[in-house]
Amino acid sequence: MTELATTESSLDLYRQWATEPIAERPRFSVVIPAYNEEWRILPTIGAIATHMSSFGQPWELIVADDGSTDSTVELIEDLDLVNLRLMIADGNSGKGNAVRRGVLAARGELVLFADADQSTPIEQFEALVAGIDAGNDVVVASRAAAGAEVASKSLSRKVFSTGLSLIVRGVFRIPVTDTQCGFKLFTAEAADLLFGRQLIDDFSFDLEVLYLASKFDLEVAEVPVTWIDAPGSKVDAAKVAVEFLRDLAIIRWNDFRGAYDSENHRPPRT
Amino acid sequence: MEITSDNKTETEVEVALRGRFDAHGTDAFRQRIDSEIDSGVHHLRINLTAVEFVDSTALAELVRGMKRCRELGGDLMLVDPSDPVRVILELTKLVAAFEIV
Repeated sequence: MTELATTESSLDLYRQWATEPIAERPRFSVVIPAYNEEWRILPTIGAIATHMSSFGQPWELIVADDGSTDSTVELIEDLDLVNLRLMIADGNSGKGNAVRRGVLAARGELVLFADADQSTPIEQFEALVAGIDAGNDVVVASRAAAGAEVASKSLSRKVFSTGLSLIVRGVFRIPVTDTQCGFKLFTAEAADLLFGRQLIDDFSFDLEVLYLASKFDLEVAEVPVTWIDAPGSKVDAAKVAVEFLRDLAIIRWNDFRGAYDSENHRPPRT
Repeated sequence: MEITSDNKTETEVEVALRGRFDAHGTDAFRQRIDSEIDSGVHHLRINLTAVEFVDSTALAELVRGMKRCRELGGDLMLVDPSDPVRVILELTKLVAAFEIV
């Protein structure tokens, strides 16, 4: 069971993580996709690094840049955190592409991907780990499961997410009430399997990953979380809904033609 | 985010924040700070012990408040920031800008 370390302060543990390279396989990898996040990325890294270090277990942070044109990359490079890996993209290819690159490069036994805006505070991490400890391969944060608390979500996002959820559950029979929350935890084996085969580069990649989890009979659980709608969200609810419906059809077609039957991407790590 | 005031004198007050200090809380924070400053209180102690996260808009408000106070001969100090807030102040290089007690 993952618990906070008690012998050292979280500040001491953070400083240790920030300056001493871990010598063993990480227990946890945290992947943050980032596209033009100069205003949000440093507080997010600070919050995540403090919390994840407090467990006293080896962990790594991977920021997968998606072709940012602002100062996101420079800000992260200046941090000089020895256990932070920055993956720089040649151009903007989409959130799914960034998450895939980061997850496949991750070395941890458990791999979390978390949005850069901290809409799901990192303190919810333990709840997802409990789901893995209970025997699941994938645990997703859910804004729709019973017990979830959602603050400041715009009406348009609520309408679209409810509608899409009904379609996903009805058509795809994915037993998850919220496929799109950007806070998901995988075992390393599940991460390699799912992200080694998924193909979609845009916001619908979450749906595709969960579709594949169902296809390959992985155990998936969802956990209600506290979620805060962060201002400056890049989600255009209407546009994403249209793309989502399009991608539903693409996922089905990909499966029909056998595109998921073998690995499409190989983890770059040795 | 909760905002409470304590230990108020004619020139000094401690403002304690609790919860997540982000863009949703900056209006209320600004109103409280400006109200104190406009009433003649130019030495503000912002207690961050119970703040779990600050985003860039919150940091900008703290800087704004500090500048206002200093222009009037006072100061805005940060009191006992929580560990995540202290790390965020370090990463954003603001730890040198404020007096932290």
